[in-house]
Amino acid sequence: TFRQICTTTAVQRKNVGASGPEKYTEAFIKKQIEEFNLGKRHLANMMGEDPETFTQEDIDRAIAYLFPSGLFDEQARPMMKHPNEIFPEQRKIQWGEDGRPFHFLFYTGKQSYYSLMHETYEKLLNVQKHQDQLIAQDLPLQKEKRNLAGNRWLTKIELEEMLLEKVSDDDYSRFIQLLQKLVALPCANIEEKYIQKFSKEVPVQLQKVVIEPLQYDERGVAFSTGEGKRKTARATVVVYDNGTGKTTVNGIDILHYFPVLQDREQLLFPFQFLGRIGKHDMVCTVSGGGRSAQAGAIRLASAKALRSFVTEKEVEFMRQAGLLTVDPRVKERKKPGQEGPRRKFTWKKR
Amino acid sequence: RIMPVRWSRYNPNYLEPEPKKEPYQKPLEERTEEEREQMDLKTVRPIKAAPPTMSSSVFNDPLISKFTNMMMKSGNKVLARSLMSQTLEAIKRKQLEKYHKAPENEKETIECNPYVIFHQALKNCQPIIGLSNITKGGKTYQVPIPLTDNRKRFLAMKWLITECRENKHRRTMMPEKLSQELLLAFNNEGPVIKKKHVLHKMAEANRAYAHFRWW
Repeated sequence: TFRQICTTTAVQRKNVGASGPEKYTEAFIKKQIEEFNLGKRHLANMMGEDPETFTQEDIDRAIAYLFPSGLFDEQARPMMKHPNEIFPEQRKIQWGEDGRPFHFLFYTGKQSYYSLMHETYEKLLNVQKHQDQLIAQDLPLQKEKRNLAGNRWLTKIELEEMLLEKVSDDDYSRFIQLLQKLVALPCANIEEKYIQKFSKEVPVQLQKVVIEPLQYDERGVAFSTGEGKRKTARATVVVYDNGTGKTTVNGIDILHYFPVLQDREQLLFPFQFLGRIGKHDMVCTVSGGGRSAQAGAIRLASAKALRSFVTEKEVEFMRQAGLLTVDPRVKERKKPGQEGPRRKFTWKKR
Repeated sequence: RIMPVRWSRYNPNYLEPEPKKEPYQKPLEERTEEEREQMDLKTVRPIKAAPPTMSSSVFNDPLISKFTNMMMKSGNKVLARSLMSQTLEAIKRKQLEKYHKAPENEKETIECNPYVIFHQALKNCQPIIGLSNITKGGKTYQVPIPLTDNRKRFLAMKWLITECRENKHRRTMMPEKLSQELLLAFNNEGPVIKKKHVLHKMAEANRAYAHFRWW
C-alpha cells in the first residue's frame, strides 16, 4: 500500500458529517428549530428587549446572566444555540415511517455518491449530444479553454463533507477521472456551472517574498547578503558587485575548501544560470553538515543574495530552475525493531 | 491531483525544476499550446529544489549522471565520477588514435565526441521488448511485454556495468573495460548487443504466451 502525503492544512479538519449512522429525522430538527425561535422570543420578552432584533450575542449574554455557572469548561455551561450548531450536520434518517427509503439508490449503500456519478455522466452525455449537433450542422466547436492552472478539484475530505457519507479512495479517483473527461471535451462550457461546484481556486500569491534592496559599503561597492540551509548545514553569504569571481569560504579559497568538482559546480550554478560568472565576489561562512550539504547551503544562500541584483522575471526563472527552494530532504530516523530507517533485521527461520 | 507516492518529503503539488537556460530565453510566440499551459502551471505551483547532481552548465548531462549513480558503490560518488571522466577520456584517446591513423576519405566517418558515442551506444543496447514471469495454473511462463523508456534505459546501463564488472580480466581498470564496451556497442558488436539479441529471440520464441498479459 502507498501512503498519501501531506495535504493542505485547510483540508485536515475532522470529517463530522460522515460519522456514524443517521440519528435524527428531518421533522425532529424542524421542531427543534421552531422551539428555539419561540424560546428566543420568550427570552427577549423576559429581558425587556425587542423580540425582532434579538441576536445570538444577546442570547448568550442573557443566558450567562440568568444561569451563572462556575464551571471551567465552556461546553459544559448552559447554552442556547441554533439547532444546526448543536446537532452535527448529519444525514437525516433516509426512510419514512413505513420503513420505505426515500432515495431510489438507497440499497447500494452509497446513495449520494452513485447519484452524483449518474448526474455527472448525464452532463457528459448532454455535452456529447450538443457536440454531435454542432458537427451535424457543420458549425465550429467552441474551444475556450478554462484556466487549468488556477483551479484544483475538491479533495476527498471536502467531497465527503459535501455528500455527507464516506467516499473510498477508488471511488474518489473514479469521480475525478469522470470530471476530467467532462472538462476535456471541447464544448464543456455548457456545463460550466456544474463543474464550478467541484473546483476551487488556488491562491496565486505564492509567498510574495520581499526582495531586499542593495546595500553599499564604505568603498561604494554594492553588496547583498543571503542565508541558506541544507540538511544540517547553515550558510551566510555576502555577494559583492564589480568583482572578479573570487570566492572565499570560512577564510579559505574554494579550490582548497571544496576539492570535489561537483561542489564547485553547485557554487557556480546560480551565477552560470544568470550569466554573471566573473562579475561578483563572494564571502561565505558555513557550518554544520557534510561536504555536499555545505555546498547546497551556499548555493541557496547565494541565489537568495543574487535576487537583489536581478530583475523580477529572472527571479521567477531562478525559482523555476529550483534554485530558491529549501531542500526539505533530511536523514530519516531509525525505527525501533529495524536496523535502520528502512532495513529490517535479518530474518532467521529459527 | 493527489497521487499516492512512496513517502516523498515534498507535497504532491510540487513540480520538477528545469535547470537549463535555453527554455527560459524562448520568446512567447515560439511556444506551442502545451508549453504555454505548462508555463502557466509553473507560475502557480511550487517547485522542488534542484538536486546536487543537476546544474545549468554545458558539461552536465542527465544520462551521464544516471550512469555515474549506477556505477557508484556505497555512496562513493567521487570515485564513480572520476571513473566516468577517465572512461570518456579513454574513449576520446582511442578515437583520436583511429582518426590519425585512418586514410583521408575515412576521416569524416570517425566519431570523436565521447558524449555522442555514449548516447549512441546506450541507444543501441536498449531492448525493445522484455520478458516477465507470469504464473498461470501453477506454471510460470516467460511472457513478452512492452517496456517503458525508463526501463529500457535502466536495462541497457545495468547490462553494460555488470558485463564490465564480471566478464573481464580482474586486473584491467574499469575505465579501460567500459570504454572498450562502449566502443563495441557503438558499432553494434560486443557481448551486450548479443545479450539484447538473445532477449529479443526469447521474446519471439515465447510469442504464443503474449495473450497472458492483462495490462
